[in-house]
Amino acid sequence: MAVRAFFQEHRRALLLIGVLLIISPLFGVIGAELVGYHEPLDVAAEAIGLEEAGIWSGLLPDYTVPGLPEDWAGLSVGYIISGIVGIAIILAIGLAVRALLTKG
Amino acid sequence: MHIPDGFLDPVTAGVCYIVMLVFTAYAIYRSRAAFKPEVITLASLLAAAIFAAQMLNWPLPGGTSLHMVGGALAGILLNPWLGELVLFVVLLVQCLVFGDGGITALGANVLNMGIIDVLVGYFLFVLLVKGREAKRPFRLLGAFLGGWLGITLAGVACGLEIGYSPAFPYGISITVPVMGLWHLALGVIEGIITALVVEYLAARAPSLIMSVKLPEVS
Repeated sequence: MAVRAFFQEHRRALLLIGVLLIISPLFGVIGAELVGYHEPLDVAAEAIGLEEAGIWSGLLPDYTVPGLPEDWAGLSVGYIISGIVGIAIILAIGLAVRALLTKG
Repeated sequence: MHIPDGFLDPVTAGVCYIVMLVFTAYAIYRSRAAFKPEVITLASLLAAAIFAAQMLNWPLPGGTSLHMVGGALAGILLNPWLGELVLFVVLLVQCLVFGDGGITALGANVLNMGIIDVLVGYFLFVLLVKGREAKRPFRLLGAFLGGWLGITLAGVACGLEIGYSPAFPYGISITVPVMGLWHLALGVIEGIITALVVEYLAARAPSLIMSVKLPEVS
């Protein structure tokens, strides 16, 4: 099956993505907590008084899984799950496009 | 650098959406010939890797953080058209599934990270490397400058977009320097990562870099 061959053929690239995913909570949850995550965009927006308008917060808002505990462990697990979901969707889109176009 | 809903003037948001739609349609048109199974596979894996890399925020002492954008890398590895399509898919999924970047701001986010960053990365790399494909220092410098200045100019564009509104056009005198200077400083990391990834591939799998024709590994 195409999906299985895909995983076998691209083991190294997928391994790299997996490693990024596993260490991601260190940066995205724990590190952000330690130093207070604050992007230049937040700095600029604050300086001229821009405010976010909540129109759509997503199915997994800000890479969290609703229902998981909101401590660092729960947030870290939610962050990894979010990453897996995002990567699965992106690869599914790619494989779907590939299947569509190669069938001609 | 993902602009949320509420930061943009409606006209700015609309103009950016038009730019996104036109560029993306043209990118699909220009990529027709490149839509081969192996290229689509490579682009999908790159999209997944960029998505994962964007989840790693570099928390820096002093409290201002940044994460990898990867637009320049996509432009260098593929070409501006496929690179934009890769970033477009990443930004669309981030926006719809994770609320990372507003729906009304998708056009602006694609313009900054998917078009400007990709184009700057591509052109700087090609400028420095074309004709000197075998020279390692030029490859490193081209990829470094592409990654660094790509994210910096994307930051400047982001500053222009959020700072400008017809009612208060002077916001840009604050937002552009803030965005430009922070990204100029923190973007060095993006430049280093871009250079390392490009050089790694140039040394091991040069055929994966499509923007220039690198010599095969002997």
